[in-house]
Amino acid sequence: MALSYEPINRNTDVTNTKTMLHEVIPLTGTIVSGTYGTFPNEDNIKNFTHGMFQSIYDYPYLSSSSNHIFDISLGYDESSPLSSSSATQNSKKMAIYNQFSQLLLGYNQDNGKVEVFESDLDITDDSRQMRECIFISFSRLLSKDQIKKGTFSIQLGSGSYTGPYDLASTTGRNRGGILTLQDLSASTDGTGIGQSVGGEYGVLYDATGSITNPINSASYGVVFYQAGIVVLTASVFDQMYAGQPGEVVEDGLEIQSGSAYGLTATDTSRNIYETFVSSSISGACDGVRHRIYNISYNNTTEINSTIYFCRMPVNKFNYSSNPTYTSASKMVIKNVASDLPVTYVTTIGLYSANNRLLATAKLSEPLRKDPTNEITLRVRLDY
Amino acid sequence: MSLRKFGPQDIILNTMRTYPPVKFFIYGGEVYYNNSPHLQGVLSGNLLSVTGGGISLYEYNVDRKTDVSDVIYPFITKDSAGASFSTAGKVSYTNEFQFGDRINGFYPLTASISRKYWPRPGEREEGSIPGTTGSESVFNAAPVNRHFYALKNKFDWYGYMSEHYKVESGVGDGWDKATDPMGLISIPSIFYGSGIQKGSVSLKWYVTGTLAAEVRDVNRNGELHQVSGTAEALAAGENKVAGVVMYNEGFIVLTGSWPISTTQMQLDRDGTSVPLQDPNWLHFGVGAHDGANQSERGVSFANASFEINFEGQTDIQVYTMFAKAGKGAVNYSNNPTFLQYSQSLIRQSSSRIYEESSLRKIKNTVSSSYPGYSAPFKRQVFISRVALYDKHQNLIGVATLADPVLKQEDEDYTFKIKLDI
Repeated sequence: MALSYEPINRNTDVTNTKTMLHEVIPLTGTIVSGTYGTFPNEDNIKNFTHGMFQSIYDYPYLSSSSNHIFDISLGYDESSPLSSSSATQNSKKMAIYNQFSQLLLGYNQDNGKVEVFESDLDITDDSRQMRECIFISFSRLLSKDQIKKGTFSIQLGSGSYTGPYDLASTTGRNRGGILTLQDLSASTDGTGIGQSVGGEYGVLYDATGSITNPINSASYGVVFYQAGIVVLTASVFDQMYAGQPGEVVEDGLEIQSGSAYGLTATDTSRNIYETFVSSSISGACDGVRHRIYNISYNNTTEINSTIYFCRMPVNKFNYSSNPTYTSASKMVIKNVASDLPVTYVTTIGLYSANNRLLATAKLSEPLRKDPTNEITLRVRLDY
Repeated sequence: MSLRKFGPQDIILNTMRTYPPVKFFIYGGEVYYNNSPHLQGVLSGNLLSVTGGGISLYEYNVDRKTDVSDVIYPFITKDSAGASFSTAGKVSYTNEFQFGDRINGFYPLTASISRKYWPRPGEREEGSIPGTTGSESVFNAAPVNRHFYALKNKFDWYGYMSEHYKVESGVGDGWDKATDPMGLISIPSIFYGSGIQKGSVSLKWYVTGTLAAEVRDVNRNGELHQVSGTAEALAAGENKVAGVVMYNEGFIVLTGSWPISTTQMQLDRDGTSVPLQDPNWLHFGVGAHDGANQSERGVSFANASFEINFEGQTDIQVYTMFAKAGKGAVNYSNNPTFLQYSQSLIRQSSSRIYEESSLRKIKNTVSSSYPGYSAPFKRQVFISRVALYDKHQNLIGVATLADPVLKQEDEDYTFKIKLDI
């Protein structure tokens, strides 16, 4: 127990800092589709009886080792032309859209309705509206405090159904390409991002550009950094891209094809809009998942720290209250009475105003302290 | 929005203490934790990228390829806060990284038990005084086994619990831990939490798969007494103290040197050779991350296997809060859909006046039992969330109900919210 205390001057001896710890999060398409079983019934894909979203794990979800990595769902606004009472799970698809819109964008002050997603930085201008959307909600385990701005990238296969990422094929419907969407304009300094009820968001641009045109003006969605949610417009699957900006090979990608989706001989395949209308949410999620080639981003954890500069002046802390410091009322480390008193500092105790021990900081090795030297120790407290 | 304050009886702070059981099995230079096999993934030969009975701290990178592009890893940018990873040493951090440089870490961060065997724990390097000769020039220099010297004071300090902790003692035949052989098993705190539960430690020595001897801390004072085993093991050391447990620090110190079996094995190194030795408690745990394995120690090494059992101790503070929605209260919602759609919400609005309509109608959500008939209006809400605010009215937490709860005006509810801290 300390016998004397050195007061800390809050103006000169204490400072607060914030450190950003990041993690690189790569999620390859092999995790999302095809690795743990036969598509679309992989063991790491969890569907629910309510059928409103699908959960993707990084390993078969019955294993205790698995981590939930993201959920995927889709829906449309009530004003969408796809909205119809005859559409499969029509009310649920609208409910999904409304829920995400309410959570991330809030209500329109003029008409009291929920806002409509837009793939630009101004929600109020009603341009580039996204009325049919795919929602990807990342697990908090991965996105932590927020996704780091300017690091998000999602790659989507835009080839044929059987070879969505088939870069080797060069002709016809098999001429595949990978569309890369990135939040290219967003920066950690706060520029190039929008503000909404759900926090900050950046626009996902087609980044499959050339050197002379690194950012294609086409935008296909937004990423909400704090919420860890990506909203993609259905039109991203409108066309088959050839790997160059603006070079469209063929319209109408096959999102669903064959018996895996219960399709019949007369209804062999569906494009994205047909999928939105005629397929269940879970089935449509399978189709979208099938085309995810890669997702990567950096997350951010904010570590707040208080730094205390603990000062040991020349004439203080030269004595120890450790019982082994003295023997027979003599300091054991002194050979003759005229030697300077010496101590070895091993621990710093932080005390409250009423001298209650709150925390201790240990040194990696003892520091010699005597009346000839002065030491300032920097103690950092993370929380 | 109106807020309600917790009363003095509405918040309880409890501590929940748990004792998770832990088991290590050591065989052939491998360590197994809680009977977990070494799992193989689809993409990776090692599911958790952890070997040797270790724990992966965050369990990221489950079944990932080892390419850098496929694994999750942390990084930090050097700035004035001075934060870094422990793998970047002090000198390296100061000299090799500029401000703004990126410092990469790696996952998984793992921990496992380890063992040391010291024939002479207090051994020191031999130094010589320059310019002198003979025995006068020789002096004891730096310790060979620094861990032993780091623990010496703690050994003596725990002497109040048992004499067997002390470094030197005259009890019985007496001992000096600095000169007598010693085995030390280190258990990282991630396996036990704040301490090892007293009375839960059990060490089992198996010879050719048969339990040869077992020690337990039966007296809960750290002494490991040999409590069972074969007849020859009991004859040699029944109720003898084979070592001590440092509950708070996670060390098991073994000093018992009596033979527990006549089956000799090549266990610990004696200088450069590994002779056949009588199995005793000093050799317990050989192969637990001490460099010993069968190819190096010989065929007889496979006869030895070991089991360590104990219970950890983890304290979890739990806040329990009772949020009350009394009769006649919490009957209004700010949700825009709470009001009827298509009605004028504002009575008048100008540059000077903004007046909401006092005639706004609440949507009737009362369920009717009959088709084509609307039930009479009742004031009711559906509670879906309870928000927690601090004294400055900052939102600090939200508790979401599994299903919205219907609350009518004449009903009162209490929501029990638990928060582990």
